[in-house]
Amino acid sequence: MSAAAAWPERRAPLFRLSPPALVGGALLALVVLASVLAPLLSASDPLKPSFSRRLAPPWGLGGTAAHVLGTDNLGRDILARLLHGGRLSLALAATSVLLAAGAGILVGVVAGSAGERLDALLMRVADVQLAFPVIMLAIAIVAVVGTSPAALVGVLALSGWVLYARTVRASVLTIRRLEYVEAAYTLGATDLRIIARHILPNTIAPILVIGSSQFATMVLLESGLSFLGMGIQAPRPSWGLMLAEGRDYLSNAWWLATIPGVAISLVVLGANLLGDGLRDLLDPRG
Amino acid sequence: MPEHALPSVGRRRFLTLSAAGLAVAGLPRPSHAQARRSGELVAGLSERMLTLDPANHYSISSTSVHRHMFDPLVDVTNDSKFVPALAESWRPVNNTTWRFTLRKGVTFHDGTPFNADSVVFTLRRVKENTKLIKSFVYQDLESVEKDGDHAVVVTSKRPFGSLPAHLTMLGMLPPSAGKNEEAFFQKPIGTGPFRFVSWTHGDNIVLSANPSYWKPGQPRVEKLTFRFIPELSTRAAALRAGEIHVIDRVTPDLVETLKGSRGVKVFDVPAVEAQRWIFQLGKEPLKDQRLRQAISLAVDRNVIIKELLLGYGRPVDSPVPPGLIGHTSLPPKLYDPEKAKQILKQAGYTNVSIDFVLMKDFYPKQLEITQAVAAMLGEVGIKVNIKNLEIATAREQRSAGTYDMFYSGWAHMPHDPDWYFGQWFTKAGSEKLTRYNNPRVEQLIAEGRVPDPKVRQAKYEELERILWDEEPEIWLCYTVAIYGVSDRLRNFEARRDYYVLLGDVSIA
Amino acid sequence: MRTYVVRRLWQSALTLVGVSVLVFVILRVVPGDPAKMLLPEGAPQSAIEELNRQLGLQEPLYVQYGLFIQSVFRGDFGQSFQYRAPALQVVTERLMATVQLALAAMLITVGVGVSLGIVAAVRRGTGYDYASTVLAVLGQSLPNFWLGIMLILLFGVALRWLPTSGFESWRHLILPAVTLAAFPMALVARLTRSSMLEILGRDFIRTGRAKGLAERAVILRHALRNAAVPLLTVLGLQIGTLLGGAVITESVFAWPGMGKLVVDAIFFRDFPVVQTVLILSATLFVVINLLVDLLYTVIDPRIRYS
Repeated sequence: MSAAAAWPERRAPLFRLSPPALVGGALLALVVLASVLAPLLSASDPLKPSFSRRLAPPWGLGGTAAHVLGTDNLGRDILARLLHGGRLSLALAATSVLLAAGAGILVGVVAGSAGERLDALLMRVADVQLAFPVIMLAIAIVAVVGTSPAALVGVLALSGWVLYARTVRASVLTIRRLEYVEAAYTLGATDLRIIARHILPNTIAPILVIGSSQFATMVLLESGLSFLGMGIQAPRPSWGLMLAEGRDYLSNAWWLATIPGVAISLVVLGANLLGDGLRDLLDPRG
Repeated sequence: MPEHALPSVGRRRFLTLSAAGLAVAGLPRPSHAQARRSGELVAGLSERMLTLDPANHYSISSTSVHRHMFDPLVDVTNDSKFVPALAESWRPVNNTTWRFTLRKGVTFHDGTPFNADSVVFTLRRVKENTKLIKSFVYQDLESVEKDGDHAVVVTSKRPFGSLPAHLTMLGMLPPSAGKNEEAFFQKPIGTGPFRFVSWTHGDNIVLSANPSYWKPGQPRVEKLTFRFIPELSTRAAALRAGEIHVIDRVTPDLVETLKGSRGVKVFDVPAVEAQRWIFQLGKEPLKDQRLRQAISLAVDRNVIIKELLLGYGRPVDSPVPPGLIGHTSLPPKLYDPEKAKQILKQAGYTNVSIDFVLMKDFYPKQLEITQAVAAMLGEVGIKVNIKNLEIATAREQRSAGTYDMFYSGWAHMPHDPDWYFGQWFTKAGSEKLTRYNNPRVEQLIAEGRVPDPKVRQAKYEELERILWDEEPEIWLCYTVAIYGVSDRLRNFEARRDYYVLLGDVSIA
Repeated sequence: MRTYVVRRLWQSALTLVGVSVLVFVILRVVPGDPAKMLLPEGAPQSAIEELNRQLGLQEPLYVQYGLFIQSVFRGDFGQSFQYRAPALQVVTERLMATVQLALAAMLITVGVGVSLGIVAAVRRGTGYDYASTVLAVLGQSLPNFWLGIMLILLFGVALRWLPTSGFESWRHLILPAVTLAAFPMALVARLTRSSMLEILGRDFIRTGRAKGLAERAVILRHALRNAAVPLLTVLGLQIGTLLGGAVITESVFAWPGMGKLVVDAIFFRDFPVVQTVLILSATLFVVINLLVDLLYTVIDPRIRYS
């Protein structure tokens, strides 16, 4: 590994991002913007049922322009629910990823750069927690603190931190032994400095990839928890709840579950493209 | 593999075979009731069967399966009439004594004869072994004695008029089961139309025909498999793909899709089940009958039946479904949101907020219906917080009484309302449920336990009128049981109690 | 090295004890009463209390745990509350189905995922790269149940090429394995791609190319080997998901696996089954991750344990 490559450019001017990454970023921004502007974009009430208009297909597939994306099993406009639900789902996913990444990186760095004992302890804690199905943790937490967005974020973050921790730890272990790092130690650099200048920058790439992947995981996990009643409570929409409610209608009203699924896919695509682009930028070898 | 392509048979061979077949058909049939059995049936049930012990469960799906391996003393027809099974006849000797006369000439699958010893063993076992799920029902039994080989006398501590009804759900076991129960239930034997072959816990059970079944003409197939497929879409897909022949618990929304599928028919029948919402009567605000009345007036039951259940529901005219003893016709509950608002105003309820608890995925479309109800109640100024909880947690809240409304139901599996009344409308029964307490009703329930049907009807009618006024629950509707059935099946009967009974069904 | 292994084994044992205690306590502390789940709605309170007593749940926690550990060492994991059969039997009945599904899904995950990742990295910036990214994204973001049910409707109902559900023949394995593999496959593809891109640019690769080694040899031998570290990490964790987290796939395909077993058992408060599955899968998990850690040293000699 050449010396030059060990000190990557820290500046990241936007125009250096590759086209796909820009597309990804734009997609993400579009979805976020649409969610934030939800009340302006859709006049329909996402909460009020309308029995006579149940299960209307989207416009162009047999439906009317009044409900562009159709209506759900209670006659509510799907576009409105999608946009309002997006706010909630995206906010929950983002918060959870940040929380999980923060905790995970911290633990990973500590475990990888500290002594054997601490490393072993932390990894054992991770192991014990990993051995528990997320569902069981979710049930336990919700049974004790009740269903709330905060509890949901907690559960989601808890499910995700270990991946960061282990990956960062592995990278740290690799890098620590490298000659120039050992050289830096003998020259008197403190641990913190080593971490900041040598280790962290080299772990950013996998972190970004994992983080952008995990965003999708969080949204999907939220949907899984909503199936189980741990997530957002009806009638408030979230993409997860919409998926859950559409589950029994896949044979006769497939758009109920497919549309939030497509929304999730777009978000994931955007996040991944952006993540890849950022990785390429910050780590321009190859 | 379901596909029924005929094996290719050469023309000459075909003619030869059919000639031989005609010759055989012309022969006189043996007089013993040998059913002409052929083929294999596969049924897909929504609820997992958890045990092979008829005394150790209260699940509809398990009852369905067990009925094929075991016979009870009494059977119940689809219009709630009690008919002989292993008991030829039965009568109340007095208010606390029943006498059952048993059918002769019946054998268990291992050839041993069925007689009074079996009945005595089965009943004593379920009463004495309090680990068994059905045990609590039979705690009232005082003695079970045989009177010769083909009669049994059962006495109880209090009048037990509903005993025959409960016995429809208790398959008779051979006394040999008592020697080593664990081993017995690995490979159980009964007197039923099918024999046990194999079982994978929670996945499927395979049964094969019992050629010496005592009922003539049954069974009509060689092999019967029950698969447990809780996921609705998967269950329906398997039926549509021709892999299974019967499914239960079809939702109204799926009916059109099934009707439009090749080879599939849909059967539906009003069920002996009421969908209901119970109120927490032990605390504010639903302790107040006026609030309950307002809620009742604010819910448009007919719209829910028509739009959400697509007509697959019947309006309720009495807490007890039609066909059962005690059913009567009471004035229908009205939808009058304006009156509801008036009542609320007069009673001083301006900012009411109530918690509506559901047990996750327990009843089909419950969440949908609850959201509709929340919207309706919102229109009259009552805010509803929907709490769709995991079943165990929901039940804890119910015991603790921390709910206001709770989504519930009651399927009268024994086709008799005594259990329902005793559980929900006596002080002891509802203590950890709704905290209902009305001494007059309690007295009527006790008086309704005698065997005399006329007395029971009178008592139940009186107590139902009281309940109708008090509104301790809201009865939404009687449900409709919908089944998806392959058009290859003959003689399928859509049961009102959600049982899937296939002893008499053949496959083309 | 040997001391390391011994020490890790000891730590694994501690982990397992930790898991068993945690499972035990959580189950009994969280609200939810097994008797209420077993008895029908119409059962009196006295029956509920009686059944709880019969199930041994009225004893103090430490007594219950002690009895449990004693019986575990005898090979007795208790009797399932739901099925009234030995919990171990109920769990091992599902072993075949679970392992088959996990292996099939793992095969697809690694086979398809790594291939996609390699293609994307080697043909970076071209249509192949974008196509694999989109494919990976779809795999990641399509909800499990949606994919499963759609596959059933297409291949099972409409085309009738494959069975819709159940565990009977190898043909029954295809759709569930594809459904289960979709998500981890995507993750593996993206990780492979990014790890390989990192490696492909390094000096010694360039040196290798300069020496005239065949392009393929260069890629496979060096790049893949170095990309293996994060890959193994992820795979090690995914095993846990495949075993315990396949509940939705198993539900959709009526696949009698341990994922659905344990979730149903959790909802039902069937303590013995939950305990058995968690302890067994924790054991497996710990063993696999120990192997992964040891494999690190084989793959990347710079990682050394003292």
